[in-house]
Amino acid sequence: MRFPALTLLAVWCAVASAGTDTSLDPETGLATWQAETGGIQVRLTQISPDQARAFYLARGFSPEAAGRYARECVFMTVVRNIGDTPVEHRLADWRYVVAGEPDRTIRSKAEWEALWKRIGVSEAARIAFTWAQFPDTQTFAPGDWNQGMTTYSVPRGGRFDLHFVWQAGGKPFSGILEQVRCADENA
Amino acid sequence: MKMRNSLAGLMLGVLTGLGAPAASSLAADLPDLSHSLTRQTPTPAPALRLKDLDGTSHDLAQLKGHVVLINFWATWCPPCRREMPSMERLLQTLKGEAFDVLAVDVGEDADTIDVFTSQLDTRPTFPILLDTRSHTLQAWKVAGLPTTFLIDRQGRIVASAIGGREFDHPEIVQAIRELLRN
Repeated sequence: MRFPALTLLAVWCAVASAGTDTSLDPETGLATWQAETGGIQVRLTQISPDQARAFYLARGFSPEAAGRYARECVFMTVVRNIGDTPVEHRLADWRYVVAGEPDRTIRSKAEWEALWKRIGVSEAARIAFTWAQFPDTQTFAPGDWNQGMTTYSVPRGGRFDLHFVWQAGGKPFSGILEQVRCADENA
Repeated sequence: MKMRNSLAGLMLGVLTGLGAPAASSLAADLPDLSHSLTRQTPTPAPALRLKDLDGTSHDLAQLKGHVVLINFWATWCPPCRREMPSMERLLQTLKGEAFDVLAVDVGEDADTIDVFTSQLDTRPTFPILLDTRSHTLQAWKVAGLPTTFLIDRQGRIVASAIGGREFDHPEIVQAIRELLRN
């Protein structure tokens, strides 16, 4: 179900911030941002350009196609239902905001798929790509969780706030991951 | 910054193809997998007819009268890798009973899967089926990996789980035993 934009903005304002927990993996040097609010946990972990490139090269992408994906700011995204009510997310309703710029939507799997078809990425590679991305929409029962990649058009080292939204019990909710930072080129 | 577990490291190790050694060395730092199953109103399971790694066909319809755990997964999916040994332990726990496990891999070939399973302490003895073009996942309305379904003796989906689980947890074993008694 699509949420009206005004409703979203109102909810964002109402929720403000439940607090973003940040951690750094000492082995990889890559950072994670996590928020828990309203029975949901959302976590973004940096994926370096080299890692993103290597993952898709290993799954049949050409160097050009893998390089195109790796130009984006890629995060491993985990959503977990830590409450006692089913929750449903719709990635198209999420927004990310770079300071001083209009909010943006996350590039959808369908948009990527169209690009991959246009530049001749094989079907097998496209299937791997599709399943490696965070699902467009999914319902999580209590205890359920999932992970996948999401991408953001943010410069290396740039920061953004991610406004994530979900539904539970027929009502919309939202939370914020604040000051998420895009991995450096040589992370 | 607060230090946390090395989950990110595990994910990225797998992502970049560093492989199981890197992944397993970090596994001890990870939180326990959960063991919840979401019960649902029994509904007939979609068709599932696929070939395994040896080219042998498997048909879920042939398993009526059995309780079946169906797991959709891929080798590059970290929670899928983590939970797979627990499915083998579950199978061994219920050995001799009318219980089966089918693992459906999406989009990979037998060689890729073999590289992964050869790194496990115990190779899976249950069939690993190939859904090369992901048509079966779509028919089962799977949105992400791993997703697991529990099928009763009448061929109906009675429970599901999205995300990694410890399938040999006593509560899951008990739930399957209850289904076996019905």
